Amino acid sequence: MSFASIHVPNFMVQAVLRGEPQLRDRAIALVEGAPPLVRVVAATEAALRAGIQLGMAKLQAQLCGVEIRPRSRTQEKAAHAALLDLGWSISPRIEDHAPETIIVDVAGLASLFGSHENIAHEIVQRAAGLGLLVHLAIAANLETAVQAARGFPGITLIPAGEEEKCLSSLPVRALSPSVEALETLDRWGIRTCKELAALPVLELSERLGQEGVRLHELARGASTRSIVLAEPCELMEEEMELEDSVEDLEPLSFLLGRLLDQMCTRLAARSLAAAAIRLKFELGDLFEKDFQVLAENVPANFASGEDARKIYKKVLQLPVPMRDSKMLLRLLRLQLQADPPPGDIVKITLAADPARPRSTQGGLFVPGSPNPEKLELTVARLAKLVGNANIGSPELVDTNRPGEFRMTRFVPETNETGFRRRNRIARKKAAAGATASGANSEGALGKPMTGCRIFRPSVPAAVELREGCPAKVFFRGLCGRVVAASGPWRTSGDWWRENSWHQDEWDLEIEFYIANAGAGGAAGLYCVYYDSDCRGWFVRGVYD
Amino acid sequence: MYTELHARSAFSFLEGGALPEELASVCVERGMAAMALLDRDGVYGAPRFYLAAQKLSLRAHIGAEVTAAGGWRFPLLVETRTGYQNLCRLITRMKLRARKGEGHVSDEELAEKAAGLICLTGGREGPLAHALSRGGIESGTVCVRQLCEIFGHTNVYVELQRHLDRAEEARNHAALEIARKLRLPVVATNGVSYALPEQREVLDVFTCIRNHRTLEAAGRLLARNSERYLKSPEEMAHLFLDIPEAIANTQLVSSRLQFNLSDLGYEFPKYPVPDGKSQMHFLRERTQEGMVKRYGAENEKARAQIEKELALIEKLDLAGYFLIVWDIIRFCCEHSILVQGRGSAANSAVCYALGITAVDPVGMDLLFERFLSEERGEWPDIDLDLPSGDQRESAIQYVYERYGKLGAAMTANVITYRGRSAAREIGKALSFDAETLGRLTSLVSAWEYKDENDTLTRHFQDAGLDLQHPQIRKFLELCVKFQDLPRHLGQHSGGMVVCQGQLDSVVPLEPATMPGRVVVQWDKEDCADMGIVKVDLLGLGMMAVLEDSLKIIRDDYGEEIDLGRLPMDDRVVYETLQKADTVGMFQIESRAQMSCLPRLQPKRFYDIVVQVAIIRPGPIVGKMVNPYLKRRQGREPATCLHPSLEPVLERTLGVPLFQEQLLRMAMIVAGFTGGQAEELRRAMGFKRSEKRMKDIEQKLRSGMEKNGITGEVQETIVQSITSFALYGFPESHAASFALLAYSSAYLKCHYLAAFTAAMLNNQPMGFYQPATLVKDAQRHGLRIKPIDVTCSEWLCKLEKQDESFSVRLGLRYVKGLRADVGAEIVRERNLHRFVSIDDLKLRVSAIRKTELATLAEIGALNFISEARGSHRRDALWQIERTSRNAGPLLERCEETEGSVSGENEATDGATNAAVKSPLLPMTADERLVADFRGTGMTVGPHPMRYHRARMKRQGVVTASELNNLPDGTHVRFAGGVIARQRPGTAHGFVFLSLEDETGIANAIITPRLFEEYHVVIVHQQFLLIEGRLQNQDNVVSVKVENVQGLAVTQAETTSHDFH
Repeated sequence: MSFASIHVPNFMVQAVLRGEPQLRDRAIALVEGAPPLVRVVAATEAALRAGIQLGMAKLQAQLCGVEIRPRSRTQEKAAHAALLDLGWSISPRIEDHAPETIIVDVAGLASLFGSHENIAHEIVQRAAGLGLLVHLAIAANLETAVQAARGFPGITLIPAGEEEKCLSSLPVRALSPSVEALETLDRWGIRTCKELAALPVLELSERLGQEGVRLHELARGASTRSIVLAEPCELMEEEMELEDSVEDLEPLSFLLGRLLDQMCTRLAARSLAAAAIRLKFELGDLFEKDFQVLAENVPANFASGEDARKIYKKVLQLPVPMRDSKMLLRLLRLQLQADPPPGDIVKITLAADPARPRSTQGGLFVPGSPNPEKLELTVARLAKLVGNANIGSPELVDTNRPGEFRMTRFVPETNETGFRRRNRIARKKAAAGATASGANSEGALGKPMTGCRIFRPSVPAAVELREGCPAKVFFRGLCGRVVAASGPWRTSGDWWRENSWHQDEWDLEIEFYIANAGAGGAAGLYCVYYDSDCRGWFVRGVYD
Repeated sequence: MYTELHARSAFSFLEGGALPEELASVCVERGMAAMALLDRDGVYGAPRFYLAAQKLSLRAHIGAEVTAAGGWRFPLLVETRTGYQNLCRLITRMKLRARKGEGHVSDEELAEKAAGLICLTGGREGPLAHALSRGGIESGTVCVRQLCEIFGHTNVYVELQRHLDRAEEARNHAALEIARKLRLPVVATNGVSYALPEQREVLDVFTCIRNHRTLEAAGRLLARNSERYLKSPEEMAHLFLDIPEAIANTQLVSSRLQFNLSDLGYEFPKYPVPDGKSQMHFLRERTQEGMVKRYGAENEKARAQIEKELALIEKLDLAGYFLIVWDIIRFCCEHSILVQGRGSAANSAVCYALGITAVDPVGMDLLFERFLSEERGEWPDIDLDLPSGDQRESAIQYVYERYGKLGAAMTANVITYRGRSAAREIGKALSFDAETLGRLTSLVSAWEYKDENDTLTRHFQDAGLDLQHPQIRKFLELCVKFQDLPRHLGQHSGGMVVCQGQLDSVVPLEPATMPGRVVVQWDKEDCADMGIVKVDLLGLGMMAVLEDSLKIIRDDYGEEIDLGRLPMDDRVVYETLQKADTVGMFQIESRAQMSCLPRLQPKRFYDIVVQVAIIRPGPIVGKMVNPYLKRRQGREPATCLHPSLEPVLERTLGVPLFQEQLLRMAMIVAGFTGGQAEELRRAMGFKRSEKRMKDIEQKLRSGMEKNGITGEVQETIVQSITSFALYGFPESHAASFALLAYSSAYLKCHYLAAFTAAMLNNQPMGFYQPATLVKDAQRHGLRIKPIDVTCSEWLCKLEKQDESFSVRLGLRYVKGLRADVGAEIVRERNLHRFVSIDDLKLRVSAIRKTELATLAEIGALNFISEARGSHRRDALWQIERTSRNAGPLLERCEETEGSVSGENEATDGATNAAVKSPLLPMTADERLVADFRGTGMTVGPHPMRYHRARMKRQGVVTASELNNLPDGTHVRFAGGVIARQRPGTAHGFVFLSLEDETGIANAIITPRLFEEYHVVIVHQQFLLIEGRLQNQDNVVSVKVENVQGLAVTQAETTSHDFH
């Protein structure tokens, strides 16, 4: 048996620079974090020489005069996928050891590639072709190969029986011991594999337990374990580059249908279904379209800048795992109709998050609920009509900002949870009724509560003031005389944010009249407010 | 006209956003003539509010919001002195029975203490609002009726607040209905929580801190709007246009509130004297006895001074105060506790005669008025220095016992938000992550000197924060707003107040965090301002060192030393001081002191008094240091500012160095009385007001003109007085400190081992780290032995060998070793010696693996077995096995084996320990790293010693060689940084003390160089400096031109920074 361990040093940097090898010698630092707390997480050699330290703030890094780039987990994923591809291009037996390390079983490859040295060079060459500079070690012992690839640069070939000798200069840290074991070894002055291997194993096990024995074996190159073969990629992905770009939905649907069929076949073969479908379009030249890309569908790193215009992404979260390609296509079509891509599509990437398929059985005595697939279709159709941001379950937000709420994804309650929830609400109501029936905090004085029908969005109005108090109100083409006014009720907040608010609300009894015909129209009780930030009056709603 | 009757200040701790002074001044700006401060469960801010109001001619009404069992608060206004006393007692009772920060009053207690108090029905947190929310208008009516029963129908006002809130207005409607029904008057308030609308932000952050939330997550806990600011009468009248009587009634209530804080009714306790004698008579007797003892019966000058002082004491009726302090001194003497009065008390011959102070004010011609004067109308201030620790605690407990739990209490210490604490709390509220917060707070500068770039803005940039980001900008703004706002109430380290009768009727008392302690709600400044006498029982590390030294000398040397009878002309002491060899000596060990000593060349005790006082901001800012030193060295004539000042300035060669001289100068040149002169000093003091300063300066000038002192001389005298007054040091205080300085120098020179052990046992204290103290002692020939579990005690101790003493380090220096485990080790070892590490682990079962590892790593287990050549790694190898549980199966095996070989247990243990490990011994540097990691010091060679050959090749000289090089030589020096300073008076210069194996060298870094090498200078432990040697009058330092970090060791050495 022989194993080749392929290790990508400084993986984060390599992942980013994979497509731009000419930048390798430049001083580049990768940063990560939410602004304003952005930190350096990796850097090129040149950047480290320029004074960059990991953990440094972005501003400090800029002072060192290096180029700053964001860390890209997508590119890391792609680099990892490329690494796996590299392994699979050599042998079907590979182990996905870590994002930056894979192990390839090279036994029996001599007839294809020749000696171990040839295999090593072939791998390094192919890795370079993929834009990766790798360290590689081949050994009969799998763990020895891993440690050597991590610890030594370039190609390391370890003849069988010489593992211990070869690893002797390797730092103990490279064996990935636990923090506690590392501290103990450090206190003992054991810093290299040679020193560790020289310790008596029995006495070591008395002191460090099984971990001591494991580390000892690793240090001697005597650790034995089998290769853990990598499963094919979890994220199932299908890609299609288009010779002619596609603009319209119909031909796009045809292509998507093909991809979905393939995907569902693959899922079925593995007895899986899709929990989510991730659609990515690479766009060609942009053209002016009054399309709105919904914020929640666009990841932060694509929300602005160059990429935001070239890549279009859409995630179709499914209520239950599905693999009905026709249903999936209908849902995707609805999503795309509601939110079309802002340009010609030149490449389609379709990925599925695999999950175990749904297996539920309805209760004998519970009323039937809508089929989740159909319900999702209905919700998607509604979303197409009203926009994604306007569908779901409203949820109150804990804030003093008037009328604030958010929409959460509509999830039909199961019979059991629905029963429990209704039961809990009923109990709460009963308890509240014992102290102040039908009264909230404002109605706690025993007065009946008044309902207010909120206009969403608020209706712009013009208000005429007399001695600081509204006297006439004009909105929606109506004119009204204020018969009685109560207020202002002042609220302000979120002063630490850019979108702070400051509003003066009035409760007004308005008698409407027709401008030319004089008084005599209908009357109503309205909630009207003045927004200091946009310096305008609005009608929030009408009281019952 | 409107009076605000319900305002909270920041002394409601996290529930108010403005200081009382700020509220008072805004109140006056808005045209109000009176205001009531009602802080939560206390009168914490009342003195500051009262004093500020007095200055602004504002009537300051006092009250408090008192918490009830249901969580609501009764807003109570004090009408009369009885009412104030009732309020204080009510709060004291609720506080003392509850945990800190908690507690509530019952209706019965309220009824009992209701006299003299007016109750409002409160706003959102008041009793009425709670009743309304519970049961509507009926419940509200019942609640108000109950209040009328408790406080009386005429003492309850239905309170209306309008913060433009619907729910509140609904409550107001109900309140009006109840008021009409019960025929009660209504009164408008604004429930003020801050002075200005923008301070609402501070209050919101306080809310987050109180509720442990971030601003994002606080939701409706935050204020709905910014309406709780101090509104003008016009604004309030406009708000209550429909209820004008609510506004008018505020005036009525205000006119009823006759009490103010000048009417506290405080009385100092009377000292119990034998029957038939007055306190004064008793004091005269005690003073007479003391005078004979201290001065002899024939000293007429002393007698006259004492008579003069006693006459004033009698006139001001202060005999009781002196007797009480004398009583504390007597207690300390009876219990062998070192005690020494300091501060201005040392100006008093009566204090000297009573044994309160150790400095002879008659012999030193000190000015009594600095201590006590008729004009000032204040209590004298006597500070007592006691050894820090248990002995000070026993003196404090004695005062408690003597005056009762409600008769004595500690003064409070108001902890305020400073740069770091504010940044931390605000950062948390703004959801900053822990790492950024840590980075930010560590960057907030602690240098004393602040250059123009040393701003919060700069720190934020250094921390990598983008100032363009709105959240960061807000953070910065809030940090500025938070400065000096109270955070919580602590306990002053030693200030005690006592009272005749019940202290709890003067100021509310609270339990302190420390068990058995009670603390008043005011800090020592407030107590002084309110005329409450305080006695400071301060813990002084050096007193503890002296006391411990005396004990060690008694026990080990067999000698008895009396600090009161030390020879004050000891040649060795003065020679040592002249060489500035003063590491560890009280007050004269700092770098600045060391650089002055060789120039001052002290030859007698008074020189030490000068030495203690001269390195102070006053003389430095007033540019007095160099003229004095030059005159002392005969390099310039000792002229005087004016011939009339010669008697005053003669002793200090014509240069004013002490506060007393300033006072006397004012008395001579401007004809001030002693009291007026003291008033002058205070006007120039810390809380200086421009107007007060101008007034007094005018008086000074006109006085001088009357005496014919005009023109340039007048200007020079005024200049020297004003520039000096702020930071000057009283001569009496300097003399008290000089006594301690001399004692410490004497003990160090003659009993180095005892002094070093005592210093090490009382760390942290002083200017240097223990590592430096150890190295200094070693350079003086003292042997310091490492920690060894077979012979070390918890504390450092002396060991005698061949008629000489060495110091054995104690287990207290093992980092992470718990004191109880240390005591257990010593106890078990004293029973019989440990034969192996297993034996130690078995007998000291509480010991943890980490503790064993540290002991092994520092070599403290090396001698546990008798096997020769056992090294630290042998022990480390051993403890890993010892600490690991064998598991149930093997444990049984071991038990069986143990029982079989039980008879030979000790032998087996020894054999076990003798088993050698396969590990190599530590190298010298590894030992060094282990020593510093485990104990913070090494008794082995200094780290620089290992690199001397390399250093020599690079042309680096040693600290001792520096002393012999001529001025101006270009030198290279390398050493470990033991102190970094950037004094406020040094214009941005940085001073470093670097240590090598031969001694300490000083380096001076210019602001430009500091700017350039900031990171290296601040963060590197070892430095290689290059520059021009300055060797003037045996004061040696290197003016650095180049600096670089030096890789010497991985050991984590530490330095004492940022003074």
